[in-house]
Parts: sequence; C-alpha cells; structure tokens
Amino acid sequence: MPDDKEKKRGMLDGFKSVLYGMAGHDMARYALKTRGSMEHLFILITMGDLLGIPILPPYYSLRLLPYVVPQVSTWKRRMLREKDLTDALA
Amino acid sequence: MNAVYTLIIGFAAIYLGYSFYAKNIHKNIMKPDDKKATPAKMYMDGVDFSPANRNVLFGYQFKSIAALGPITGPIVAVQWGWLPALIWIIVGTFFIGWVQDYTSIMLGVREEGQSFGALSYRFISPRSRSILLTFIYFYLLLIMAAFGKIVGYDLMTNPAVPLGVLLVISIGLLAGQMTYKWKMDIIMTSIVTVVLAFVGIWLGTLPAVQSLFSSINGAVVSTAADGTKTTTYALVFGSVTRPQFIWSLVTLIICYFGAVLPIWRWAQPINYVAFWIVFLGILAGTIGLLIWHPAFPSDFPAFTNWSGNLCAAADCSGIETKPPALGFLWPILFVTIACGAVSGWHSLVSSSGTARQLEKESDSLYVGGGAMFLEMFLAILSLLTAVVGVGVTKGFAGYVNMIAAGKNAGVFAVGLSEMMAKIGVPTSFGLPYGSVFLTLMGLTIMYLVVRFMRVASAEFLGDKVSLFKNTTFGTLVALLISALLIYTGFWARIWVLFGGANQLMASLALLLATLWLMTNGKKYMWTFIPFIFMFVTTIAALLMTAYNLLKQVLTTPDLPIDKVIGNWLAGFIAIYLVIAAVILAWDAIKALMRLRTQVPVKAN
Repeated sequence: MPDDKEKKRGMLDGFKSVLYGMAGHDMARYALKTRGSMEHLFILITMGDLLGIPILPPYYSLRLLPYVVPQVSTWKRRMLREKDLTDALA
Repeated sequence: MNAVYTLIIGFAAIYLGYSFYAKNIHKNIMKPDDKKATPAKMYMDGVDFSPANRNVLFGYQFKSIAALGPITGPIVAVQWGWLPALIWIIVGTFFIGWVQDYTSIMLGVREEGQSFGALSYRFISPRSRSILLTFIYFYLLLIMAAFGKIVGYDLMTNPAVPLGVLLVISIGLLAGQMTYKWKMDIIMTSIVTVVLAFVGIWLGTLPAVQSLFSSINGAVVSTAADGTKTTTYALVFGSVTRPQFIWSLVTLIICYFGAVLPIWRWAQPINYVAFWIVFLGILAGTIGLLIWHPAFPSDFPAFTNWSGNLCAAADCSGIETKPPALGFLWPILFVTIACGAVSGWHSLVSSSGTARQLEKESDSLYVGGGAMFLEMFLAILSLLTAVVGVGVTKGFAGYVNMIAAGKNAGVFAVGLSEMMAKIGVPTSFGLPYGSVFLTLMGLTIMYLVVRFMRVASAEFLGDKVSLFKNTTFGTLVALLISALLIYTGFWARIWVLFGGANQLMASLALLLATLWLMTNGKKYMWTFIPFIFMFVTTIAALLMTAYNLLKQVLTTPDLPIDKVIGNWLAGFIAIYLVIAAVILAWDAIKALMRLRTQVPVKAN
C-alpha cells in the first residue's frame, strides 16, 4: 500500500513538473539570464582591479570583489564560448 | 471510423514508436552513458547551461515545439482527404520526427552544447554557417508571414475575437506586474489572471461588443431576395479588405511591443496566461471528444484526389472564391503538415535550448522523442477538429466553405468549440475561445521571431549600417518586411513555403546528425534515409511552389497588384532557400565523401 501511495505521489510530482516546464520554466530561465547579465556588469566593473589596473575607486571594487570572484570561472566560460544567432532562440 | 479509434491508433503508434524503434536506437546506437557529464553539468553557469529535471524539460520542450504548425497543417492537409494526412502524421513522426528532435539534442549533448551554426561549420564547411544563418532568417520571415496571416486575416477578423485577445494581453501585463513588481504569490496571480482572461474572452462575445467590432471592420450586410445574408468589406488596397488591414496591423504592433519591451514585461507574462488558456482548451477538447466519440461523417472523404482540389471532390457552385488546388500529394502534403510530423524548428530549440539543460544522457529520448510523440497527438486532435468537429456538424461542404473563405484556423476553432460543447461549454463561447487560443499561440512564436530577426539584422548589417544596431530600427525593419509578405502573399502558397523551409531545416538537422554519426563510426542509415527523403521532398515542394507563384504572375492578366508583389517576393524567397540548401548539400556531399574515405573511428 505505501508503495502505491508513493507511486501515485511520484506521478503527481511528475505531472506537476511537466506543467511547470510548460508554464514557468521559461520564466525561471529568463530570470537566471538577467542575473547572469548583471553579474557580467559587476565583473566588468572590477575587471581593472582583477588585472591590477585600478579603474574604479578601490573602495567600490573591494566591496564588490567578494561577490564577483566566485563567478569568474563561469563568466570566463560564458565569454569564451562560441555563440551564434540561434542562441537567441532558446 | 470512430474518432476514438483514431486516437487509439495514435497511441498505438506512440507506444510502438517510442518503446521499440526509438528505444532500440537509443540503447544500441547512441548508447547513452549517465556517467558522462552533460554540457549542462560540465559547463554549468546557472544561465545557459544548467541541469533541469527530465519532467520539467519534457514540458519545456513540448511547449517550445508546439505552436500553430501542428494545428493548422493537418487541417489544410485534409484537402487531400483525412487518410493521407493521418498516415503522414503517424509515419512521419515514427520514422523522421522523433529522430530529428532526439538527434538534435544528442548532438548538442555530445558536442559540448554547440549550436547548429558551429556544428555546421565543423561538420559541413566554414561557409555553411553563414548560409545556414541567412537561411534561418528567411525561414523565420516565412513564419511571420504564415502566422501573421492566420492571426490578422483569419482569427482577428471575427468580431467576437479582438476584444478577448486585447484583454488577455492586458491581463498578461497585469500578471507581469503582480509577479515581478508586486511580488505576489504565483498561484494567486495565476488564479486571478486566468479567471480574468476567461471573463475577457466572454466579454468579447457580447452582442454590443461584436457590433462595435463589426463597425470597426466596416462590415456591410446585404440581404438577397431569398433572405440569405452576405457580409462584404471595403477594400483598402489591392485585394486587402479593411478588417484584414486593421487586424494585421494590430498584430504587428503587438509584435513590436513583444520584441522591444523587456521579456518579463510583455512576452513572458502574456505567454504564461496564454499557456493556461491553451492547456485548458486542449484538455477540454480532448475530454469532450472522448465523451462525444463521433464516427467520421460518411460524406467526408478519406481521399479526395491527388491534386488536393476540393472543388473536384465537393460541389463548389455556391462558392464565389474557389479554393485553389494545393498541388500534387507528393511533395506538397509532406510540407503542408510540417510540425506534427517533422519540423526544423524543433532542431533549433533542441540544440540551443534543451541540450544545454539535460541532466543525464539517458533523459534525451524521453525529452526529445517523447515531446515529439506528444505533438503527434496534438496534430491528430487537430485533424479530428476538421474531420469530426466541423465534418459532423457542418458536413464536408462546411469544411470546403471554410477553407474557401480562408478560415483555415477557423476550422480548428469551430471543431474545438463543438468538442467543448460536449462537456457543457456553449459554442457561442467556445468558438471565440478557440480563436483567442490560436491567436495567442501564434503571437507567442511571433514575438520570438521578430526578436530574432532584429538580432540577426544587427549581427549581419550592424557593422556596415550602424542604424541596424538600434533596437527600434531593427524591429521596424523586420516588421515591415513581414508586413509586406502578410499583405501581399497568398496564404496557401506562403504556408507551403513556410512548411518547405521548415522541413528543409529538418533535413539539414538530419544531415548534421548523419555526418556526426559517420564521424563517430556509428550506424547512420536511420538518419540518412530520412534526410534524403526530406531533402528531395522539400526541394521539390519549394521549386513547384516558386514555379506556381511566378507562373501565376506571368500568366494572370488582372492579378491584383498586392498579389503581384507578394508572388514575386515569395517566389524569390523560395528560390533563395533552394539555392542555399543546394550549396549546403553540395558541401555536405564533399564532407560525406571525405568521411567515407577515412578509416572509421571505433564506436565508443
């Protein structure tokens, strides 16, 4: 009996996930893309300091650096990845 | 035959295709390995590359691939009779449709999430990337024209529809405000906005509202001596009537906002509300059909004739504008039903979107193949709206009349409303509901297409003409070209061209898959044969359509000026697509020859 219940709950969860995929997954992806673009801006701001060439007053860069540094590796991957127009479709 | 048997045949095809053919290829040829890190895991950046649950991805993939294609194509294809359409939907999905979607995902997964442009550069030739991208631009232009005509000429010209569409759009904006600005709970937002959307669609059906929109359309109702009423409209230019002009323009304005405003502000929340309208409509229609379970009407032919000429199969004496014969069953039927059997759009979504989110390689069949088989079900349902939804209530003559009047999508709306009537939804509400449903489905894709065209023009021309980098300018150019084709093209020809470009894109995806399989020393006939079939079929369809378009201009003396422009434009687009495809194929043959002379790599 508990197996049946678990199976039913699994099916219900699966259906909910499919429904979410149809209705809301796009929205979540777009929110992530927006966040990614904002992170790029912050990385750009601190880029000078990362290279040892201060561009902004160091106070602001130092405040941003702890948030930016963990993102540098994924940022590099995104920047260096070959992109084309079909990226705009999905 | 009973309509339910058709659904059972569809389910049997899904079961056999998915459980035996697809799984066999998946296990024995592609050999997914869940220990391998997918690009979503390997390159996870929380943005483009991010693993997602297989059920979520299944829903995402299905929503991304299902638009007006699987709905309108089967309805138009019934002009050859319901049997050829049904056979192609099932056989096309079984042997080609899922193959293309699935391999597009697997190609992306195995090749580090690279897009089709990059893959064609690598596997075909360096120039193939540029050709492919310009090809995609014209393909998207044809989507704009085909969908724009359905929305602006067919659906929105019904006076019961525009208010519903405009209110649903406004409610979508409210959904965006509630979600992103007021930070309200998504469930509450969904309930409020979906209920309001239903009220909005119902408001559009009120007689006072319909009469207002009829007067905007400039409808002139004349009554003949025998009491039959005829509605006519003033012409704006050429053969374009006032409602067609107004509502196509409104559609393009809506697309403008969808393309220039932030996605969260316009396109996304409207699509979200629209999703529920579409989902509930399909659910209600399916349940209604099962309760109704009508037999196919005896006067609805299983096969009409080889040329898809409705007037040779039915009495057209009372019809002023005769529906044109679509053309020979081969190749035209195979491009008329594009999505629903096989579609190139899917390969773009699969490679650039889904492949970068796949958590495990083994999920690829469920997500790619499964979603395609589900779309096949949608195409069968759409076929049934024409054959039983319209066929049982209005007869084959009713279907012929609607096609002759250019109400291709209207057939779906009528059929769906008849199905929903069986669960108690009155047809006076169901008909505009079906039309709003289709309009929103069309608009969802059109926003995306205009956005893409804007980005493409900035990319291609931005360095030479800096104005193209301007968002508004790029969008207006895309909309102007689309408007030119919407206002001047023959819908039936545009649809065939769109289908041809779409299927050609699919064949190019299959070509890439074949080259990839050969490179990796795997069996490739299961993609190579579908590629050959689709390539030859679509080239033939495009050439035939281009010939018909140009012949019509050159041999019809009093063709309206709009149709002259439209035919030249559409004809040249068709010829360009053929030339681009032939160059790609030539480069591909050279690549194939190179691969054949190489010692194959042992399959891993």
